[in-house]
Amino acid sequence: MIDKILSAAEKETDECEILLINSDAISAELKKEAIAIGSRSEAQGLIIRVIKDKKIGVSCTDNPELWKNCLKAAIDSSTFANTTEWKGLPGQEKLDQKLLSFDNRIKPEPEILNKLLERLIAGSRTFQADITSGSASIISSGHIIANSNGMMYETKGTLVNIGIEMIAGQSTGYEFDTSWNLDMINPEITGEKAAFLANKGQNGKDLKTGSYEVVLSPVALSELIGAAIVPALSGRNVHTGRSFFSGKIGTEVSDPSVSLIDDPYDSRGLANCAWDGEGMPVQENCFIDNGTLTTFAYDLRTAYRYDQKPTASAVRSGQSGAPSIGNHNLILKGKNGEILDDEVIFVHNLIGAHTANPMSGDFSVELSSPFIARDGEMDEPIKSGMISGNIFELLHQIEGISEETRTLGSMIMPSVRFSGLSVIGRG
Amino acid sequence: MSVSVRYYDIRRVIGEVTQIDLDNGRIEQAGSSFFDKAIIRVLGDNGWGVVSVTGEELDTDHIPSSLITKAAETSAITNTHINIEITPSGIHPVPPMKEDPRDVSLEEKVSLLMELDTATKGQDIVSRRIQYLEKAEKVIFSDSSGHEYSYNLCRCGFSVMAVASRGGTAQMGYERDHTINGLNIRHRQDLATEAAVRAVKLLDASPAKGGRMQAVLDPELAGVFAHEAVGHASEGDLIKEGSSILKGKINENIGSPLLYIVDDPSIPAFGFCPVDDEGSATKRTEIISKGVLSNYLHSKETLSTIGNGDPGHCRGMPGVEPIVRMSNTFIQNGDASYDEIIDECRSGILLKGSRGGQVDPGRGIFQFNAEYGYLIENGELSSMVRDVSLSGEILDVLHNISMVGKDCTLHPGYCGKGGQTVPVTDGSPHLFLNNAIIGGCDID
Repeated sequence: MIDKILSAAEKETDECEILLINSDAISAELKKEAIAIGSRSEAQGLIIRVIKDKKIGVSCTDNPELWKNCLKAAIDSSTFANTTEWKGLPGQEKLDQKLLSFDNRIKPEPEILNKLLERLIAGSRTFQADITSGSASIISSGHIIANSNGMMYETKGTLVNIGIEMIAGQSTGYEFDTSWNLDMINPEITGEKAAFLANKGQNGKDLKTGSYEVVLSPVALSELIGAAIVPALSGRNVHTGRSFFSGKIGTEVSDPSVSLIDDPYDSRGLANCAWDGEGMPVQENCFIDNGTLTTFAYDLRTAYRYDQKPTASAVRSGQSGAPSIGNHNLILKGKNGEILDDEVIFVHNLIGAHTANPMSGDFSVELSSPFIARDGEMDEPIKSGMISGNIFELLHQIEGISEETRTLGSMIMPSVRFSGLSVIGRG
Repeated sequence: MSVSVRYYDIRRVIGEVTQIDLDNGRIEQAGSSFFDKAIIRVLGDNGWGVVSVTGEELDTDHIPSSLITKAAETSAITNTHINIEITPSGIHPVPPMKEDPRDVSLEEKVSLLMELDTATKGQDIVSRRIQYLEKAEKVIFSDSSGHEYSYNLCRCGFSVMAVASRGGTAQMGYERDHTINGLNIRHRQDLATEAAVRAVKLLDASPAKGGRMQAVLDPELAGVFAHEAVGHASEGDLIKEGSSILKGKINENIGSPLLYIVDDPSIPAFGFCPVDDEGSATKRTEIISKGVLSNYLHSKETLSTIGNGDPGHCRGMPGVEPIVRMSNTFIQNGDASYDEIIDECRSGILLKGSRGGQVDPGRGIFQFNAEYGYLIENGELSSMVRDVSLSGEILDVLHNISMVGKDCTLHPGYCGKGGQTVPVTDGSPHLFLNNAIIGGCDID
């Protein structure tokens, strides 16, 4: 099929790129402690991108048999686009096509799901709390990316997801885990953590409004970073006047101990692959190097347009199937230390992190599963409260970073201790 | 493996999505994509078996028996017995569109959006983005009881973002409108200009001060309040799972006697459902009447277990199993005028526009963010504030509504739950809230 599409496109376009995706998934959902739903999903996707007279067009379909319609729609779409600086799709490189996120034991079989859910439930019994819902899913997927410059790469991968929601009185606990590797997922621990948050979060005390030392868990931190830092690093946003980081290359944007890196080959990654969403060989990109802003993320289109070096940061998400700028494994590094020393507010999650202002970085969001930690222990639950501040200023307020990290989608995040965060209490 | 089939339904959605992206006046993208997705649900001996495939697989056979068998086999993993209620069935007609967007060429749409782009230009505006989204869907539904429905629905709309910058600070103004009534991008320059003007004004606004205070919510934000603080917690699946604070509270007084909250999927607004995604007829459900919790929102399954409410609230994205969802959720008009509310407030904050919100229904705590606001001093609006949010506890805050306006409007948007995003509207008249918890970047 790929050859057919490329040869049909050759007559009408200057360049053509094809992404063919398939996935086979099985999942089961818990309602309370019982499995209420079993699901199976088989899906395919075809995304065609064409370049004609320096105009880019794209279309996608979930039925690859309809490739002719899809190709026509992509060509039609290119006629409406403005011309752009374009220096060509990548050619074939000698890339190691070893599978980096594939576990051959992971197959869409109900027995594996049953086992995962049994272990999840067992773990949840560590502390007294009720399961409200939970889930386990197994996905095996693959993609082929090819273009008219002779490039063709193929890969496949696996993914296991588990999640559980629990409640004790009016205290909720939500935990989840994801990995491509069956050995790296630990349902007992996930269940135990959810039960801990629900059980130990009961009878929380009110906080007084004021300025506090606060530790954000990897989950809470990733939500804030995703809301404002990630969009601000996108080359497209930088060059179109939508980024806080515009014009700040070479300046200090965080505490000097902190670095923010995209390492596509970090072994903790969920879907490592040697090429990005446009078939460019991936590389390590250091956005913030010991406090100094050093580079932005680019896909080919944006790099060509603004005469920047491509950073192989293209990802495929969104409805149109077009490549967009993202990251692979975004890692926050810094001075490791005992971040829960003395007394500190520990925030497991946030309610409403997506409502942060992506331009200015200002946020005021509700706390989820907050505790007062004393000398490393979750000592006392907090009933509720909001934290507010500015995400870009937070980068300067980093006091310490945990050694332990968590992989959350395309981020690998530690827990981080911040000084002087405003907390609006109910007291 | 042989699993019995107590019920099945099949929903196929064939769609075309058109997107246009104008970035600082450049056409970054303008084109269409296609999808055809089907989902087959079977209620087996115990629970549900669900199979999601490409819609084409249904073409060969009127009743796709092999897929029903496959879904039944998928249900074999379940170990809890699920029952469903037989619900009234029927379909509302889809209202005709004033101008079908599919009849308007991509070229003309692009040129109309260019007019909006021009309207966002201005001093201090450093970035402009206009996005258009049109989704035309044909939905085909059938179930084992012999119900068959089919309808076409086209949703379209646009968003305008303008960024203003001066002296090192940058602020954003955002406006959007989505509809089922046909093309809505003609003569909308006023809305585009509003986004730009707001972005510039926000440069001079001060950060809001956090703490407890009196608050007035505009219709858009008060609609989000109804959605986050009440709508989600009244969803039957959360009640059934035990993860809603409103569990067991039917017929209890949970809010001000001024308060009536409704979810009505039959209203032909952006959240319109001609029939829900498991074939139940849709109608108005009064969640709160006179401050008393009256009804939950239900699917066939949650109605059977929980009762106390209406079916017709079960929705799913194409190719994904339907779950209990809101559609058009609103607070009903009271009798106070806007001026009376601001005057009564005397001192507090007026919150306007929405940047979204979230709720933990089990804990009963919600948060949402306004795009901007104004301080109210001596019963009059004074200076503008930015980045102001509101959070609260569901069971407290509803009692704190002391005035309900009479200017209810519905605002289109999208709601996410369980990984699925569906079109909704939220609406309300102006609301006056005592003792609200306001979040802002400034504290005493």
